Amino acid sequence: MSAVVRRARPALGTLIEFRVAGLAAAAAQAAIDAAHAEVLAVHRAMSFHAPDSDLSRLHRAAPGTPVAVDPRTHEVLTAARRLAAASDGCFDPTVATRLVARGFLPAPRSSRPPDPEADWRDLELLDDGCVRLRRPLWLDLGGIAKGYAVDRAVALLRAHGAQQGSVNAGGDLRVFGPRAELVHLRLDGPAPGFVPVLELGDGAVAGSAGLASRRRRRGRWCGPHLDGRRRRGVRTDVSVSVVAASCLLADALTKIVLAADRRTARRLLAEHGAQAIWHDPHRGWRRFEA
Amino acid sequence: MHVRWLIPAGAGLAALAPAAYATQYLSVEQAGRAAFPQATEFRAHAAPDAATAARLGAPPDWAPRVLEARGAGGRLGWLIVDQVLGKSELIRYALALDAAGAVRSLEVLDYRESHGGEVRLAPWRAQFVGKTARDPVVLNQDIRNISGATLSCRHLTDGVRRLLQLYNATLREAPEAP
Repeated sequence: MSAVVRRARPALGTLIEFRVAGLAAAAAQAAIDAAHAEVLAVHRAMSFHAPDSDLSRLHRAAPGTPVAVDPRTHEVLTAARRLAAASDGCFDPTVATRLVARGFLPAPRSSRPPDPEADWRDLELLDDGCVRLRRPLWLDLGGIAKGYAVDRAVALLRAHGAQQGSVNAGGDLRVFGPRAELVHLRLDGPAPGFVPVLELGDGAVAGSAGLASRRRRRGRWCGPHLDGRRRRGVRTDVSVSVVAASCLLADALTKIVLAADRRTARRLLAEHGAQAIWHDPHRGWRRFEA
Repeated sequence: MHVRWLIPAGAGLAALAPAAYATQYLSVEQAGRAAFPQATEFRAHAAPDAATAARLGAPPDWAPRVLEARGAGGRLGWLIVDQVLGKSELIRYALALDAAGAVRSLEVLDYRESHGGEVRLAPWRAQFVGKTARDPVVLNQDIRNISGATLSCRHLTDGVRRLLQLYNATLREAPEAP
């Protein structure tokens, strides 16, 4: 007997919804337990706050010293650096310094003060699984690690024999299996609600809405997303959703669509076979054609 | 990857009709089995009295359901079912504590939007429904982005903190039933 099993458990500062079909109930529960444990492991390795995370160890290390990290951290940093290079720094995992300054992240304790000139080029991925920072800097994988955690969770569900299902980490969702599913996205603002936006099979969708998390600062709206190249905030009144083959890509490309110029965004979407939609309060929904 | 957008370019959000939204995850029994696979019995324990609730600063309608998980060797721990009201949603959850009071797991049982969770059924949704009949894709599942912006884990954290205080105040010293 197999039915759909759904569970929602806290992780990554949100509730993660796991859904599994095609497995007997006990096997489905075991698959979800394993997927949840994997999400917690990703969180432990890539937390900006936890003093024993890979990121905190990198922040404490003397510049130029190779630091051994979890293979998953190495994988995410490799992807982040590649996307930073491809977007000419619009996506930059080293903008944490600015996010701390804006009050969106707490300053890491017992860490070296970051070099204000440091950027993604100072991040070196070594072949032996180590990572080296050329200058003192603060890494934040908030724009990509949640998507990666969803990808890992899906991999675990599949490894446990799940044929169909999804993992939804509030804004980052991946669907797998032979059947396409209907995805609703939350719309924030004066008339909040859910909008059915797409039919998705074997893919991921990630959304970034600045409205929900923006704050007033010196009389201006200020959000958690930055253009890494200009080191300044992006518009906070738009919602962007990106569909891509993996949730890591969808998550990161969302930030790129928000921050980059249209040409760069279109080029990167096309390179990754991804698509995007954009909602702003004046013009409503728009497809962001590659 | 299969993708089909349901949003035509330039679509506004006028003339949208709301619909209710709720999600059921696990029953209390399923959550108990997941947290304590070796349990043979979940015995109801007295609910906290008004004096305890007042001491813990609980909201007036606070009524957690306390179950003692028992196995062959006696007490395994506790399963406490409680609910919290977020900004726009009601979350019912089960907190599992081991016999020493450490958190074993936290599981959401169900989730209900009290407002702001409406599914917007735009006119184009109707067009889309018409198309599915000829489409090979079977649409039988809805996935909603439940956590997004308004579902605040903070309220859940507050609820759990209160249950841990409840454990310290009453359950820690509770004599084990024979």
